[in-house]
Amino acid sequence: MERLVPLFLEHMIWPILLVTLIVGGLLVPQLFRNVRSFELVLYSSVPLGLLVLAESICLLSGHFDLSIGAIAGFSAVFTGLFIGGCTTCWGIAGDPFVGIGMILLVGGLIGLVNGVMIAKFNVNPFLQTLAFLIIFSGAKTALTTRPVGDLPEAYLFLGRNSVYAIGLMVAVFILFAFIMRYTTFGQAVYAVGSSEKSARAVGVNTDRIIIAVYVISGVLAALAGLMLTGYTTIVPPDIAENMVFPAFAAAVIGGVSLFGGRGRISGALGGVLLLGVVQSALQLSGIEAAQIEMAEGMVLLIAILLYNFKEDIRGRILAGEAS
Amino acid sequence: MSTMEQDETVEATESAPPIRVQNVDKHFARIVALDDVSFDIEENEVLAMVGDNGAGKSTLMNVLCGVHKPTNGQLYVYGEPVEFSNPDDARRYGIETVYQDLALMDDLDVATNIYMDQFPTRGIGPAQFIDWDETYRRASGLLKDTLDRPDIDPHTEVEFLSGGQRQLVAIARALAFDPKLVILDEPTSALSVEATELVHETVRRLKAEGITVVIVSHSLDEIFGLADRIAVLYHGSLVDVAQTDEVTQDELKTMMSTGQRP
Repeated sequence: MERLVPLFLEHMIWPILLVTLIVGGLLVPQLFRNVRSFELVLYSSVPLGLLVLAESICLLSGHFDLSIGAIAGFSAVFTGLFIGGCTTCWGIAGDPFVGIGMILLVGGLIGLVNGVMIAKFNVNPFLQTLAFLIIFSGAKTALTTRPVGDLPEAYLFLGRNSVYAIGLMVAVFILFAFIMRYTTFGQAVYAVGSSEKSARAVGVNTDRIIIAVYVISGVLAALAGLMLTGYTTIVPPDIAENMVFPAFAAAVIGGVSLFGGRGRISGALGGVLLLGVVQSALQLSGIEAAQIEMAEGMVLLIAILLYNFKEDIRGRILAGEAS
Repeated sequence: MSTMEQDETVEATESAPPIRVQNVDKHFARIVALDDVSFDIEENEVLAMVGDNGAGKSTLMNVLCGVHKPTNGQLYVYGEPVEFSNPDDARRYGIETVYQDLALMDDLDVATNIYMDQFPTRGIGPAQFIDWDETYRRASGLLKDTLDRPDIDPHTEVEFLSGGQRQLVAIARALAFDPKLVILDEPTSALSVEATELVHETVRRLKAEGITVVIVSHSLDEIFGLADRIAVLYHGSLVDVAQTDEVTQDELKTMMSTGQRP
């Protein structure tokens, strides 16, 4: 029984999601009126989903990344200006595939700097990623305060088409679930998250793992920026703002430990779906945007309470084992 | 190289001890942690390293397992001069260490802790993925057959284990890759009487399996119960390497506190 309770706590997201779907469906019937309604719920969750995945991998390694929203926004604006045809655009390249490569490269490079600063120069992850949140949010606004448009059709294609966007999100989640479970790298991420010192002692190259985690986080954040761009077909100046805390909430509610080493990618996907259903239900109920933000804050609070509850129960079981 | 020369080299290597520490110094800035230490670790013995705090036991252990490079002197493994830059180098020569803090990852299960960074894999060419069935099978075999501990489930998260079981998991990790020498750093310092006996039983089992064991400990009762020989350190110097049955606890205490042989 002592082993079953933690197992249930780890997979707690799924019964919560089921209850939310039933209550949401009853209170807001238009949420699941038909397949298209459900598809829209999933489609609108794609950018957040990719940010949740980025955050989850950081959390599993015992780190976190406050800059994922800023990376998504900056890389989308920078690349939009680089390949766009609008009057304020630089128009350096018009090839959509150069654009896709560039947005991922920009995100990856920012993640690389985050990782090197944290792993090699021992900068506190909170301070490092907070600094980059501020720097790249500011840099995004410095680049342009007007929407960036006239982007190549193929650049928007993945984010614009709901089926491809959802398919991409699911594929990326499956890929990372596989990597985390079946590769030495994935298990090393868990090891670093559980105890960086112990991981180093048993031969894990912890610096390399931390840098790789931040590069992956940056690339996934940039992919979220690409999906957001496709979703709106332009790059609005406030793109990806206020998305980092919902991403934390979804990861934690999905069972990813705030202190690393524990959690599943599938749970994080459950967290994305839960937040997506809540957001869609609130929007369809005609609630104003500011109130939706407030509700998201409450979801974050509930996630933290659930997390504390889980840790409390786990602690009691461990105390029982020890005595 | 001629055949005769090759034969001589092999013969020399075979007759050489598993580890030879020769004139090893270790300095940390102006502090001399080890001063001209020389001794051999013999095949299939249990060698205890004792000394007061600051005597150099941990430094010597860290030199043997590749955490510290000696400032001067030379290590030999079966007659071959070696330089360890990190614990991985020592591991390649069959030297495994169980650290005092055990270096376990509490959130991960027993099998994952044992095989971390060296999982059995399967796949095609460079596309190799962790073979979890084989990982759990091997971990189970190691715990059941080598350590005679079928009660430790390889699927259990380490944080749910008792102190003695955690120590055995750390020893199992050291044994997973057929080591020649296992170094145990204060293996029973934080354990109950029952768990301590478990660890002692395991050390005897390792010796019976043909493994050489170096044990760093403060407990003289433990040392006299387990060791074949005892290396005594005092302020970074080696006082003596005594046969356990040729020295008394009082004589050992004198050596540890004065640095003089009785």
